[in-house]
Amino acid sequence: MTVTSQLKQTLAGLKSAQGTIRTYALQSQEEELRNIFQESLETTGEIIDSLENRLKKIEFEEPQYKGN
Amino acid sequence: MPVWTIILLRSVFFFFLVLFLVRIMGKRNPSRLIPFKFTLYVMIGVTAALTAVGAVNLFLGVVALAVFSLLPIGLDLLSARSKFVHDIVNGRETVLVKQGKVMEENLNQVRLTGEDLLRELRYKNVFNLNDVEFAIMEATGDINMVLKSDKKPVTPKDLEWKVSPQTEPQTVILDGSVSNEALTEMGLNRNWLEQQLETIGISLENVFIAQVDTTGELYVDLFDDTVSLAQPKVREMLYANLEKAQAELSGFVLEIEDQETKEAFAGNAQRLEDLLEKLRPHLLR
Repeated sequence: MTVTSQLKQTLAGLKSAQGTIRTYALQSQEEELRNIFQESLETTGEIIDSLENRLKKIEFEEPQYKGN
Repeated sequence: MPVWTIILLRSVFFFFLVLFLVRIMGKRNPSRLIPFKFTLYVMIGVTAALTAVGAVNLFLGVVALAVFSLLPIGLDLLSARSKFVHDIVNGRETVLVKQGKVMEENLNQVRLTGEDLLRELRYKNVFNLNDVEFAIMEATGDINMVLKSDKKPVTPKDLEWKVSPQTEPQTVILDGSVSNEALTEMGLNRNWLEQQLETIGISLENVFIAQVDTTGELYVDLFDDTVSLAQPKVREMLYANLEKAQAELSGFVLEIEDQETKEAFAGNAQRLEDLLEKLRPHLLR
C-alpha cells in the first residue's frame, strides 16, 4: 500500500470521528461539554484540511504515488 | 341508619380528612421525624381512629384533629422565622465526637451508651472509632459523621483528575410508553428516539426503560432479557478512532522523507495528541 492510500484511510477515519464529535457537540446537555466538543470539532476540521492539502500536493508532485 | 353504615361513612370521612391533614403538615421522612412530630402523628391517628368508630363525639374529634394538625403548622411557620422557637421545638443537635475524641458528657445527655454510638457508626460502615473526626447526633436522633481526611473515599479531585460534567439522566421510555416531557427536556423529539431504536434494531414495545444521559446517549433495558443488546460504547469508540488516526499520523512522520511534509505531519500528529488529552476525561471517564 502506498503512502497516499494509507493517508486516505487515515483521513477517512478522522472524518468519521469528526462526524461523531459533531453529534456530541449538538446533543450534549452541558454547556461546558458542548464547548469542548465544538472546539474539538474545529481542531479535527483543521487537521483534516491540512492533511487533504498535503495529499493533493503529494499527488501533484509525485503522480507515481497516486493511490486509489 | 344502621350502625355499620354510620361507621362506614365516618371511616371514609376520616380517611380523607387524615390524608388531607397529613399532606398539609408537610413532607417528612417518617423514619427521620423528631420524637415530638412522631408523637403528633400518633395522636392524629389515634384520635381519627377513635372518632371514626364512634368512641368519641364526631365534632369533638374533628376539633382535636384540627388542633393537632394546625398547631404544628403554625409552629413550623414560627420556627422558620425564629431560631429560638426552632431550637425549642426541634431541639438541637449534639456533638458526640470532636477532633476524634468522644464527648462522654454529651453522650450521657442524649442517653447514648458507648455501645450505641459504635453501633450507629457501624451502620455507616465505620468500624474503627479512630477513623472518625467528628460525629453529631441530629435532632431526629440520626448520627452523622465526618471521617478523618486520610480515611475519606478518594474523589477525582484528590487524584487531580478532570472529569466530565454530568446532568441528571432523563427517563424517556418507561414501561414501553414514551415520555414527551423528558424528551423535550433534553431538546430531543420522538423522531430522534425512533431513529435511535431503529439503529439498535428494537421496537418501542420491547423497551421497558430507556434513559438519555448528559452526552445524549440512549441506554435501553428490554422486557425480553434473552435479547443481548450492545450498549452504546460510542465514546470509547470515538477515542479509539482518534487514537488510531494519531498513531497513523505519527507513523507517516517516520516514513516520509521530504522535510517539509514531515514537519507538517508531525505538527498535525501533535495537535491530535493534544486533542486526545483534552477529550480523555469526557470520553473515557
